[in-house]
Order: sequence, then C-alpha cells, then structure tokens
Amino acid sequence: MTKRRMFLRMITASLLRRRSRMLIALLSIGIGATILAGMVTIYYDVPRQMRAQMRSYGANMLLLPEDGETLDSEKLARVLEQFPEDALVGAAPYRYVRLDMTSRQQSFTTAGTDFEQVLKTSPYFSVEGRYPEATREVLVGKEIAELIGVREGSSMELTWQPAVTAGEGDPAADWVPNAQLAGSAEGFSGGAVTVTATLDGEGKIAEIQVDASTQTPEYGGRTQEDKPFLKQFTGKTLPLTMGEDVDALTGATVTSTAIVDALNHSRAVTAASQPRTVRYEVVGILVTGGEEEGYVFMSNADMRALTGEDKLDVTELSVSADEEQLNAYVEAVANSGEGVTARLVKRVTKSETAVLGKLQALVFLVTVVVLLLTMICVSTTMMAVVSERRREIGLRKALGASDNSIRAEFLGEGLFLGLLGGVMGAALGFVFAQVVSVNVFGSSITFQPLLLPVTVIVSMVIAAVSCLMPIKRAVSIDPALVLKGE
Amino acid sequence: MALLELKNISKIYGELKALDNVSLHVDKGEWVAIMGPSGSGKSTMMNIIGCMDKPTKGEVLLDGVDISKEPSKRLTDIRRDKIGLVFQQFHMVNYLTAVENVMVSQHYHSMPDEEEALEALGRVGLRERARHLPSQLSGGEQQRVCVARALINHPELILADEPTGNLDEANENIVLDLFRQLHREGTTLIVVTHDPEVAEAAQRTIVLEHGRVAREVVNENFVD
Repeated sequence: MTKRRMFLRMITASLLRRRSRMLIALLSIGIGATILAGMVTIYYDVPRQMRAQMRSYGANMLLLPEDGETLDSEKLARVLEQFPEDALVGAAPYRYVRLDMTSRQQSFTTAGTDFEQVLKTSPYFSVEGRYPEATREVLVGKEIAELIGVREGSSMELTWQPAVTAGEGDPAADWVPNAQLAGSAEGFSGGAVTVTATLDGEGKIAEIQVDASTQTPEYGGRTQEDKPFLKQFTGKTLPLTMGEDVDALTGATVTSTAIVDALNHSRAVTAASQPRTVRYEVVGILVTGGEEEGYVFMSNADMRALTGEDKLDVTELSVSADEEQLNAYVEAVANSGEGVTARLVKRVTKSETAVLGKLQALVFLVTVVVLLLTMICVSTTMMAVVSERRREIGLRKALGASDNSIRAEFLGEGLFLGLLGGVMGAALGFVFAQVVSVNVFGSSITFQPLLLPVTVIVSMVIAAVSCLMPIKRAVSIDPALVLKGE
Repeated sequence: MALLELKNISKIYGELKALDNVSLHVDKGEWVAIMGPSGSGKSTMMNIIGCMDKPTKGEVLLDGVDISKEPSKRLTDIRRDKIGLVFQQFHMVNYLTAVENVMVSQHYHSMPDEEEALEALGRVGLRERARHLPSQLSGGEQQRVCVARALINHPELILADEPTGNLDEANENIVLDLFRQLHREGTTLIVVTHDPEVAEAAQRTIVLEHGRVAREVVNENFVD
C-alpha cells in the first residue's frame, strides 16, 4: 500500500466512520455550496429572465428609414437578420396614415401593423374585445371610440385619399384635352381640400367637383355646393389666378384659395390616385392610457390593400439584450447598408440596466454573506473537531507525525468535505435555482456545465480556508499529552 | 553499550524542579522499570526520553545523539525512527481498525504495509481481530494492538507508560509476556509503572522521588 492510499484511507475513514460530527461540517458546506450554485445560476440567468420580463415595458429599439430612404417589409426582414433569433422578442412594423371617416367628417391617424408582433412588443396593450384576425377588421383607440361612439361589433367606413399633388415633374404636362384631373391643397385650419376636374376637347375646364368636407361647414364648406362660385371655373384654362380668373367665395377666402391651388397642382387621375373607401368592422377597443388610444389600428395587409403601398414608417423592436449588446445591434443595423437607422428607447434601456445591476449586486452580496457564514460555520465545526480529537492528534504526533502530516490530514479532510459538499451543492443548487426561477420568473433554466467545477472548487477553497485556524490549533497540540494518562 | 544516557538533567518549571540533576544509563537490550509516586518526575522523564520535551539542563544521549540540543522538528524524526510508545490509555485512533492503527505508525515512519501490520497483530495474537474497530476490542486487546503498533517499525527503544495500568491480571500477564519476548529479541525496554509486579519483571528498577533518583534496585530474580 502506498502512502497516498493510506492517507486517503485515513481521511475517508475519519469522515465515514465519524459520521455525526462530519455531517454537520458537510451539511454547512453543502448548504453553502447549494446557495452558491443556486445564486450563481440565478446571477447568470436573472438578466436573461428579467430581460424577458422587462420586455413587457415595451419596445426598447426603433427602426426608422434614414432621410430620403423608405422602409418596406422586405427591407425590414433583411435588417432583422442582424438580430439573433433568441434576442429578438418582437418586431412590430407601423405604417401611419390619416384616414377620413366621411360620415362623421372626422379623420384619424390609422396604423397598419402586425398584431402578432404588437402582442410581443407592447404586452401592456389591453383590448376590450379582440385583436383583428381577418381582413377588414380594425382596433379602435378608446379616445376615438368615445368620440364617434363606436364599440365592439360596430362598423366604420374609412377613406384613403392619396396625396394627389405628390406627383413628379410638371403638373402642366397632365393638363391635356379631355383629361381627368385631381388635386388637393391645405385649406382652413390645415384640412385638405380636394378638387377633381374634367377638361374639355380644348383643354378648358368643363366641370369641377370640390370636396371641402374638412372645412367649416358654414364658411369653407359652402364652396363645394355654391353653384355661382363653382360656375366661375368652367371654360377657364389652367393655371388659374385668384382674383383674375376667379373670385373667392365671401367668407371662405382660404378655402377658395386652396381650391385654386389644388387645381394648379392637379394631376391626371389614375387608378392609384383615386380615393378608396372600405368598410371595416370594429372588433376591439384599445385601452393603453397613452396616445395609442387616439389611433385606429388595422393589419398591414389591410393597410396595403387600402393604400396600394408597401411602406413602413417605423418598426418597434423589443430586443432582449444588455445595453452594450443593444448598442452593438444599433451599429450593425447602421452598417447593414439598408438605409435604416436603429434608435434605442433610452428610457427603457437605462432603467432595465439599472434594475438588473442592482439585482445582480444584491444576489452577489447575499452569496458573499452566505459563503462567509458557511466559512464561519465550517471553521467552528472543525475547531470543535480538533478539540474533540486532541488526543488522537497528540497520538499521531507521538507516533511520529510531522506538523506537515497533521496539516495535510486536516486539509485533506477539509478538501474532501469541500468536494462532497460542492458536488452535493451543485446538484441541490441547480434544483434550488430551478425552483426559484419557476416560481419567481415562471420559466425554467438550463444547467450550466461549468457550474459543477466552479461550485466544487469554490467549496473546496472555502473548506480549506475554514480549516486554517483549526489546523493551526491542531499543530500546536503537545504530543506529550498522551503520556499523562488523561 | 549505552543506548540512552541522561547526564545530570534538570527540568525546571518556574520554582518547581520536576527533575533535579538526574543521571541514568540504559544499555542496549536492557529492560528498565521506572517507579515513583505521583509528582516524582516520572512523566517529565518520560517526555524527555520520548523526545517530547527537552531538559532545562543536562544532556540526553539517545543512540549517541544529544537530543537536548536538537530542534523540535528533529525530535519528531528521532522519536519516529527510534522509539515505540505504549500508553496507559492505549490511545488508538477510534475510527480506524486494529490493522489500520498499526499501519498509521508505518505511514508516519516509512511505508504502510498491510501484510507486515497483520503479521505484527499475529504476534500479539490478534490476527483475526485485525478488522475490528477499537470499540469492538477489549482493553487488553487494545493494549496488545498498541504493542504491535509500537514494535512495527523495529524501534531501538520501547517506552511504555503504565502499560498495564488499565488492564486486568490476565491481560497484564499477556502484555508482560510480550515484553519478555521483545526483550529476548534484543529490544531495549523502559517501562514507567506504579505496579511493583510490573517493575519486578524488569532487570532493574529506578525509583524516583522529588525529581531525584532515590534508589536503584537490580532484580535478582529476573528470568530471561
């Protein structure tokens, strides 16, 4: 038998045959290691868990087209490839347009979006009724619903007025004989005034129609019905000059000017520039307590069908990552060459980082305190063990054990305890962390293989450090005590 | 030839002279008993002979080495190499079996050898009790294990402190017989005892009183 085997035999016998004493030391190391393993697991898992939780505060990143660029769904898909799948909680694209509800002479900002993603990026949205699922279903903000008196199950007709003045080139090129023209301009208090006109065989105005429903009915609103006023326009050639070709309707100067302006910028009417009206069913009322209550929401597909455009104004992203990673993603998006900028919602990212930092500091502190307590407990137990084994230690010294042998034996026992306690703690700690995770965060955690060696090594170090004082005491024992017949 | 020689040693604790100018000469192979009442300096003398203490004054030559001049660390080495100890209270490691207790001594001395340890237990008639823990052995059996442990490393000197103090007569005789055997084999024995019968088994008895050698008795009835 080698010396090493004898050494192992002695320390294992000491631990295994003196169970009751060593059990206390083992238990304290085991509990310490359990807390350690559990806390380390939580420490590393908490950011992941909490980030997922904190994503309920809403989007923390916005994707916007750069100046002069546009964003569409294909481009968005390419940009989203910059984000790892597990980090991207949700990406809700938004297209905002102003739609008219002619029957109420109201217009609302309407957002086309992807409701499945909205659920992920804005989990705080609360809907009375349900989210739209089929086509031609809309979600109406509470504020609008109260204003126009719609509720779940109502229907509303919304009209999209293409911005007809937004054509390219000189409008005069469209003013050919027999042309169908349409134009719009800003009237009183910013409301759009739309004019459609038909030219005759000589390129003169044959007929005009004015839609001034956005104007004050008693003043500008009268322009669309006032026959003498409208009559002035027939037979005139574009462009028109106010005060020369036509006179303003009394009390409606601004609207009249807008009509002339609209005609002077009018373009040939094509299918794409025709106003479109669609009847939608209200399936839910959105309650958020925020500005979203002043919007109407419809699916992106409906929005595309209505406007005939695949265009996105902004995409709200909910990304599960720390601040540093978020900044890296912002950089990646900027470098993707898609003409898209990512912006962090600082209010959200900052508070997330602060909360996580504090939580991790707390977990760290608790772990350190528990480890200190473990050390004190193990040290006390080992001290008691040394006192209890004074005669045995004296005997060993009398039999020729050097101080180093005594040190090695106690350290060996300590390390062995640390090993057992560490393995025990790693296993129990994982269970502990799992229980905490499931109960507090409602999700399970994955076992980190590195946890086992780390816990075992830390436990062994703690056990070894705890043994220093007891070992000092053991070494100081006088071998002569065994001779005194105590 | 002297194995152990104490030359005018004194051990002084403050005012108290535990040993006062004591000299002693023990030849190789000799069997000496040390007697004396409590407080006569027996324990102090044993500690010094057993390399666990140093005299305040005087020289202690063990196998030609002056152990009173050696540093404490060396004393451990000398004790391990030259001395086998037997105690009144037996002192076994209570969580190790009989054979393991013997092997502990081997472990500190050189190499544990289970076969040899079992042989030594055989010598004290306990081979079949080798796997028992101390709590499963009687007092006499424990002391025999301790004798086996003391002789396992073939020490020059066996130093026994009241080896039969806690034994009944039957076991006392077994232990004394073991000592006789060791003596015949040439081992030097120093036995500290209260018991005149045990002292009478030795060749010579030193009687200590008040830290001095009061008298020396040679056992004329010594049977070898």
